Formats: sequence, structure tokens, C-alpha cells
Amino acid sequence: MRTWAWLAGGVLLVGCGGRPSAWDSPYQPVSVGQGLAPAYGMTGAVAVVDTSLARLTVLRSPSPLTLAAQSIPLGKDLATAQTSADRKTLFVLSRGVQPQRNPGDEPPQLLLLDGSTTPKVERSYTLTEPMDQLALDPKNEWAVLYGSSGVVVNPNELELVDLSGTGNTAITSKTLRSFGGKPNRLTFTAPLAVPGGDPKRFLIVERDSDLVLIDLANPSANEVTVPLPSTDAGGSATSAQVVYDADSATIGVRVTGTTSVFLLQLAAPAQAGQDFSVVTNLVDVGGLPATIDFVHNAQGLRLVALVGTSAVLVDPVTAITQAATMPVAFTGIRRITDELNPSATAPNGDVALLYGPNTTQIAYFNLGGAPGALYRSIEPYDIGVSVKDVIDIPGSDFFDHKILETPSHDFYVLDLTNRQSAPMQTQTGLTLEVAPDGDRVWAYQPGAEGFATVDFQTLHPISLQAERGVTNVFDIAAGNGGRTAVALHLGIGEPQGIGATVLDALAPSTATARFYSGFELGGIR
Amino acid sequence: MIRRKLQVALGACALSLTSAVVHAEPLGSHQPLLEASLGARVSKVADAGYDPFADSDELAQVSLGVGGTLFAHGRLSLAAVGFWDYGTHSGEARGAQTSLAVHRLSIGPELRYHLIPQLYVFAHALPAFAHSQASLDDGVAAATRGAEHWSYGLDGALGAAVEVYGKRSGESWRPRLWVIAEGGYGYLGSTRLLLKAKTDSSAPERTAPVDLGSLSLAGPYLRISAAVSF
Repeated sequence: MRTWAWLAGGVLLVGCGGRPSAWDSPYQPVSVGQGLAPAYGMTGAVAVVDTSLARLTVLRSPSPLTLAAQSIPLGKDLATAQTSADRKTLFVLSRGVQPQRNPGDEPPQLLLLDGSTTPKVERSYTLTEPMDQLALDPKNEWAVLYGSSGVVVNPNELELVDLSGTGNTAITSKTLRSFGGKPNRLTFTAPLAVPGGDPKRFLIVERDSDLVLIDLANPSANEVTVPLPSTDAGGSATSAQVVYDADSATIGVRVTGTTSVFLLQLAAPAQAGQDFSVVTNLVDVGGLPATIDFVHNAQGLRLVALVGTSAVLVDPVTAITQAATMPVAFTGIRRITDELNPSATAPNGDVALLYGPNTTQIAYFNLGGAPGALYRSIEPYDIGVSVKDVIDIPGSDFFDHKILETPSHDFYVLDLTNRQSAPMQTQTGLTLEVAPDGDRVWAYQPGAEGFATVDFQTLHPISLQAERGVTNVFDIAAGNGGRTAVALHLGIGEPQGIGATVLDALAPSTATARFYSGFELGGIR
Repeated sequence: MIRRKLQVALGACALSLTSAVVHAEPLGSHQPLLEASLGARVSKVADAGYDPFADSDELAQVSLGVGGTLFAHGRLSLAAVGFWDYGTHSGEARGAQTSLAVHRLSIGPELRYHLIPQLYVFAHALPAFAHSQASLDDGVAAATRGAEHWSYGLDGALGAAVEVYGKRSGESWRPRLWVIAEGGYGYLGSTRLLLKAKTDSSAPERTAPVDLGSLSLAGPYLRISAAVSF
């Protein structure tokens, strides 16, 4: 009897024990449209979102052609993620355990991941309520969380996170006074030279029928709400675009359904208790503007509004308008003054690139000229295809280059200094990924095996053929100073996993590329 | 009080053992000259490296054993024994099919002591050699990956064997049937699990191995066998 008891005990001893439940959760790439992307490229690492295990699989390259993976746990119930403008940091917003049943249940949090060649969690901020949306300051000083997802939702509640601080003191909760609208878009300004004080940075919140200005130097102070003008038909209008000029502390707003542009001049305080005041003005530009921007011409600061074939220049002080005739109806404008060599820049005015998806021409809009002149020239170039968007190139090597994205399969590399455009033709639609060092661009069609790179120095395209469908291409710094291209294969095969083809980004060749897979199996203990 | 009872019980035990020894018949063929066994070994592998291959910690193996008495002195004998254990385990790791096949060969001395002719207890410490073969169906590479390793260690166990069939007389050399149970700890060194795509697979060129960390098959085990002795 005792022997059988011993045997039973032994069997129990041997039979007990299991494994982490993570082994039973297959990897599935994030579907685009859930507020998350399947993967994020940073300066020195690629983060692949693994929602099943609430973690990031972070791939880094110790040397060209090699990949190493590490797992970084995230908060539960991911809401959204974004990389900072400089791609050095990944921000991940999670809702935590909702509803909370126990004091130890994970709260909502914002987690910051250092995206260098030695990726790690930089810090996190604990939130009191789950938030769904994230807006990042291009200068990495602020993050704003909004769009609460609780049982009772206050859409006008913002959580402003001062990224220079840590802990709860870095978070300012702010409920915007509302007249029925909710935040649609947030813009962080550069320091605006508001008269009567130090330059101030503002957060401009575009809502359904008004704009809200929040002084980021004093975020807990009362915000300023500016109602938008009505449409020309008398209906309620919404803001379509916000631009600003830092030196004059002027904000321009393109409003839907009206031929007028809305100007806000931030001025010295008009009464006690104010940090600043706002003077508004509505200027008719003669038609519905396609886009607006601030420029400087020989007369001074102007708001330019592209209306049909006219570039209407508005003096924000006097509201006087003057029109320049464009060869075609451009709908896009991009100031390129800073990107041009000093010798090519008009000494007393900006240069802007005009483009549009409905014309095959681009034009250099030179706003310099003799004192008092409206502009110097508009020089059109027919490049044969229309331009959907203009992509900036980071870094210092090719600062005077732009990539022109077209609605078709082609793209152009535009040398602003020499005014040369190099067409790049592809067989299928493509996604462009400019390398963070600004020396090359990668082009791929998600799901296809073919991808390519174009070096800005030589403009020589190199076509590459992976052995599995490519879902993303990222160009990251390698640990030894080189650069590595990572072509991800996510959601490929059955079961789906995390794979990658790795190339030396400086000498890409599939003859030397290495293939990696099984990263989804790492880090489970 | 309890101590006194314990002393009495121990004294009675020693007396009965002495009595058994005094009145014992010669062991004869109860002390197996040769022995062959067939059984099952169940190990508890707690190492995390085993998790991709099984959703629980046990590793069941079929066990074949042979042994022969080298030296006998009264109830005490020294035998040389050897075991071959073989088992496979299939599982899923995040949806990917996995399997692990393990051969384990252990050979060494076993010390036996017959309490009565039909029952002996034993202890052994056997150097062990294990060969493991891991595989993973990689959906992205569209290939089966594999890794094979040798590892070395030691099996230490205590056990008992009960004769369930055989002539009462030790002078009979007809086969005897035993049931043997042992429990112990099997130590094996850890091996690195670098699963490489098979060369004849359709995996992409220069496919890097999948690193699943290390695997150690060490752990406590239980073996139950049926043996025939001569």
C-alpha cells in the first residue's frame, strides 16, 4: 500500500508543471487601421508589434547582415504607437486592464522606447484613464493624449505629457471648454514671438467649429478658444489647415466652404490676467484656396493662398491682397528656402515649390526681387507626371533634394539646387522609405518580393528580389557604424511568423543577403 | 514517549531482519545472473528550453535495460546495468509544429541488496549520454528546421525489484519475472538549440538558424519495468 502511495506521489511529481501560455498564442501581424502598424522603424532598431503577447520584438543589427532580437514587454491592450519625428523614440500608448478589478491591475500607460542600436525602455508615464490617441511634438518636448475610451468619455480632455519630466508631475490634465466640438487635429508650434514676453510655444487644437490655443509654457492656464468663421453659405465651417509664422506670431487658418482665410495675430495682453491676446481677421482671397502657407517676399511677410491659377498674397497686417498668376492651377506649396544653397536663395524672399496632383508641371516660385516687388519669378517645369506629395530628405548630405511622390507608380528625385529631376519608374505601386541618414530611399510594394533602393549620390537604382513577400523595409544603423536594410516578412506562411531579409544598406545585394525567421519564438520564458 | 516508541519499533525491525537473515535460504537464482527489462521512464523536465516542444514538463520514454551480476556476497551483489531510453514529444510553439526525439544511453554499476529472496533494493549511478533531435516547422521560411545534439550526464536512482513469478527454490534456473521501480535524478548538461533549415528544404539562401536558447533534459524521473532474469 505504501509502495503504491509512493508511486502515485512520484507520478504526480513527474507529471506536474507546464509552460507559459505565450507558447499557445500564435503571432499575428497587426492589421493596419487598428491605430497600430505591424512594425516601426527607428534609427537603430525595428520594432515589430506582437499584440498576442503584448510585447515588441525589437530587431537590431550588431553588424551589417546580422540581426539580433530582444523582447520588450508592453502594457496590455495597445491603443496606438508612433515614432518621434527624429525616429529616435517609439511612443506606445496602452489602455491597461479595463475595467480594473484589483489594485494591482495594470493601469493605462505611455511607454517610451529608445530606438537606438541598444534599444531599451526609456521611461513610462502612468495614466489615470485609458486614452486612444496620441499626438507628438516634432521637437520631442510634449506628447498629448486624448480620445478617452472609458464608459463616460470626455472628448475634450487632454493629457499633456511634459517629456522632460518624469512621474505624475509631468502630466497635466486639461479639459477644453467645449461648445459641442471635439479635437480633430493638433499642431505644436515653434516658439512664437508674442509681443510683451518671451517666445511661447503653443498647442493648436482644431475642433469641429473652433480653434483652441494652449500656452505650452503654462499648460494649466486657461486656454483661448477662437470660433471659426461661418462658410460663405452661412453654415458651420471646419478648419482644413493651420499654418503659422513664428517671428510675427501669426496663425493662418484655411477654413472649409469659404473664400476667406482666417488670420489670428497673437498680441500683447489686452487686459489684466492675460498672457496674450488674439486679434482675428478674415481676408477674402477670391476663391476657395487649395492650400496656404506663410512666405516672405520683398515686401515682408505674406500668407500665400493658392486659388485656381492664382497665388494670392495676403499682407497679414493690412489684409491687402495681391495675386500672382501661375501657369497652371497648383494645389500644393512647399517652402524650400532653407534647402537651397545660399547662392540660389533670393536674398530678400523665400523660394517655394509649387505642385499638384492635377498637373504634370512643378514650378519654382521665387518670392525675392527688388524692394517692393511681389515676386521675382514662377519657373515651371513639365516633368510629365503629377505630384501627390513632396517628401523631405533628412540629414545634411542631400538636404537640397526632395522626393516627388506621384499618384502613379513612379517617383522623382528632385535636386533643388541644380533643378534637375530624376524619374524613377516602377512596375507596380510602391511605398517609399527614406533612410534616416538621408542618403538613399527604399521603394517596395507591400506583399511583393521585389524592392529597390536609390542612392541619392549616384541616383543609381538597385533592384532586389527577396525570397519571400516584403511587408516593410527599414534602414537602420548597424552596431559597428555601417547600415543595415531590414526587409520584413510579416504574416507570410502558415503559421505566420516574424521573418526578415537583411542586406548591407551601403552595398545591397541579394547575393549576400541573409534570411532570418522565428523571431516570434524568442524571449518566452 | 514518541522517542521510546520509535526505539522499540527500530529494535523490533532489527530483530526481525536478523531473524530473516539467520533463517534465510540460499538466494541461488533469485539473485539474477542476467536480467533484461522493458519498461517506461517518465522524466520531469523543468527547463524552459523544453517548453517549445511540450505543453507540460513530462518526457515519457520507452526503456530497455540489461544487467548482469558481477559479484555477489550473501545478500549483497554488484551488477553492471545499462539502459536505452527513447521518447519523442510533439507540440506547438505559437502555432508552429515542433517535435523532440531523445535517445538516452546509461551504463554503470548497480548495488543490490536482497531483503528476502523475492525482493531486492538497489542503487545505481550511471553515466548517461543523450542524443536529442529537435525540429520546428517554420512557416515563414517554408522549411523544417532541425538541431541535433549530444549531451552527457549522470543518472542516480534508488529502486526496488519484486519477483512476481518464479520458482520458490533458488536452485531452479527457470526464468523469473520481476517488476522493478526506481526513482531518481537524471542530470544532463544543457545544449544550445540553434535550429537550422535543412539543406534540401526550400528555405531561402543563407537562412540563419533560429535560436531557441538552451535545452537541458535534466530532472527527476521514475522508471517502471518488467524484467526477466535467469
